[in-house]
Amino acid sequence: MMDLLIDALSSGWAIRAMIASSLVGIMCGVIGCFIVLRNMSLIGDALAHAILPGIFVAFILVGYSTIGFFLGSVVAGLFTAFGITWIQHNVKTKNDAAIGIVFTTMFAIGVMGISYISQGEGVHLDLSDFLFGTTLSISPEDIYITGTVCIFVLASVVVFYRYLFITTFQETIAQTMGISVKMIHYFLMLLLSFAVVSALRSVGVILVVAMLITPASTALLLSNKLKNVLIISAIIGLISANLGLIISIIFNTTPGPAMTVVVTGLYLIAAVFSPKKGLAVRYIRKQRQRLKIEQEDILKQAVKADDGIVLDVSYFTDKLDFSKGQVKTLLQQLSKEGLGQWKNGRFKLTDKGLSAGEVLVRAHRLWETYLVDKVGLNEEQIHDEAEKMEHHMSSEFLDEVDHLLGYPEKDPHGSPIPQKFTRPKLSIIDLHPKSKAKIASKQISDAIESELWELGLLPNQDFILNEIGRDYVEIQCDSEKKEIRTSLARLISVEK
Amino acid sequence: MNPISIKGLSVSYERKRVLSNIFLEIKKGAIYGVVGPNGAGKSTLFKSILQLIDISAGVIMVLGEDIEEVRKRIAYVPQKDDVDWNFPALVNDIVLMGRYPHKKVFQWLNKEDQHIADEAMSELDILDLKNRQIGELSGGQQQRVFLARAMAQEAEIFLLDEPFVGVDMTTEEKIIKTLKRLAGTGKTMLVVHHDLSTVEEYFDHVILINQRLIAEGPTAQMFTQENISKTYGAKLNLLNKTTW
Repeated sequence: MMDLLIDALSSGWAIRAMIASSLVGIMCGVIGCFIVLRNMSLIGDALAHAILPGIFVAFILVGYSTIGFFLGSVVAGLFTAFGITWIQHNVKTKNDAAIGIVFTTMFAIGVMGISYISQGEGVHLDLSDFLFGTTLSISPEDIYITGTVCIFVLASVVVFYRYLFITTFQETIAQTMGISVKMIHYFLMLLLSFAVVSALRSVGVILVVAMLITPASTALLLSNKLKNVLIISAIIGLISANLGLIISIIFNTTPGPAMTVVVTGLYLIAAVFSPKKGLAVRYIRKQRQRLKIEQEDILKQAVKADDGIVLDVSYFTDKLDFSKGQVKTLLQQLSKEGLGQWKNGRFKLTDKGLSAGEVLVRAHRLWETYLVDKVGLNEEQIHDEAEKMEHHMSSEFLDEVDHLLGYPEKDPHGSPIPQKFTRPKLSIIDLHPKSKAKIASKQISDAIESELWELGLLPNQDFILNEIGRDYVEIQCDSEKKEIRTSLARLISVEK
Repeated sequence: MNPISIKGLSVSYERKRVLSNIFLEIKKGAIYGVVGPNGAGKSTLFKSILQLIDISAGVIMVLGEDIEEVRKRIAYVPQKDDVDWNFPALVNDIVLMGRYPHKKVFQWLNKEDQHIADEAMSELDILDLKNRQIGELSGGQQQRVFLARAMAQEAEIFLLDEPFVGVDMTTEEKIIKTLKRLAGTGKTMLVVHHDLSTVEEYFDHVILINQRLIAEGPTAQMFTQENISKTYGAKLNLLNKTTW
């Protein structure tokens, strides 16, 4: 088999096929990015099918001529692009239906025409070559044309990159900047026709759309920067065109389908393994999240046991919807992470485990308190909500909730909430009216400090307590009277 | 010469009249709040000025000329709902778009352009998000990106369509502060705005519009209860009756 391949690759036709396929792979890869980003995949497919009548007409006019076929196809492609746009703007037909009507008609005419002329004597035209590509009939002339077209297409993309970028991203803004969106659209259609027509011999019209949209879609999974997307897409096009060609030589089949299978293979690999957007990464992330939640559920139960010591696995299985095996695995993992010790069926939380567990209990009970106090739910409705939320609250967020609730000590069920912030040793409320004191330089939380700042009270500021009311406390700083909410005054640390 | 001069503007969509006989002279260096109920034609007014749609009647002059002659001197920040947030565009790429109108076809963007873009991003506090993909940002950050692009365009007139929808308070404050600074340098701003409670604080001029021009001028004189009622008219009354 390798001999066959090496033999083939050293002959002229195979080298020509390889060069042509490479050029086509690169061109389609680059143009395909814009087609995909503009949601024009269907137009790409349509244009490819619709170039067949161009070959038929060119044959009638000038006979068998590579240049003739090329020009005829480009004209047919542009005719299709204009035709579709015209119908979309002037006839009340759905956009994608308009595309379908135009391209199937063109394709039908092309197939009929080419079948008809290929019956003529001495005519070396085979319909299936155009449909699925062929490696044998690529002439040096084909290479020159494809090469020229490829240089033109790539140079156009480089020169007009800004225009293609902005019209694809935000058409309106391009318009307000005085860029002719219509002209760019038709220019892109011209480039697309070039790419598709060049692909006629190597991929064939039926599957060329795969070489347009699949490398581009793959590249879009791999990068967030348009320039990189274009380059990656070109490389993927290049690789799959050559691999496909080699496969088709080895198995003696048409190259178009082989290229398509290869490019789809690359796409699937990217879809699964893309470092940022791949399914594998997302699956792993989800699994990690699930594992974290399960570990946290165990931790929270363990911390509720006396001294954080659990003697029997069934303690957990009674309270949680876990199997014994599951619990054992989780306990092992917790031990590995230094949160507990699991030996001879006895699980004991370490200090690190205890404080991690308390954080969860605090989160759960604070959130329950929040749901009752601020949202107005009743005690039956809150447990499940808190079960979910406790795993997703950052410590900054929890501190805010704690502050908002006025640092409650008990949750709505009457269970104690683990306290992160100790209550002031001496607060404004503890003072006797008319007594002097000063604001302590250290308050129990940052949130209290910023509330004081907003009230215009600074650390070490002297004041006299005037009176303590039900809602407000009045203090006197120098000549200025200030009112503080009683609920807040309770939390402000002072020194005598 | 006024930055924008509109004489007798009327616009219809499929026989339905959206704007009717509007006359407006916009003053240089002012921040205009464009206020009116849904469907009052505020966005249509912008699109007419920018010639994005066909108008039925009227003459619009921008900086004393036809808009086609002065496109790069007028920047537009559209409502941000029709953006493909998965597009492979980085913040920096988008802000640099503001430099496009200053470039001829075969000219590349250069260091000077990058510098201008960087300054716009740093004023709006998004310089450190420069290499993020646009979809990874919050609503407020996204809006700041589009304003930064308009600033990089170094235009003389800015048209902003509902820049405060779906953005956080910090962004709103940052944007208004930036607009006020720009107005101070002689730039003219038109801002479509929904929140009546902030109109007086944000805009020194208002345009009250509901298909017709109801009132236009300094906010202090024109943003009166009477004019507001005229603009929102029956709709507000209806609302009051049903809610109270």
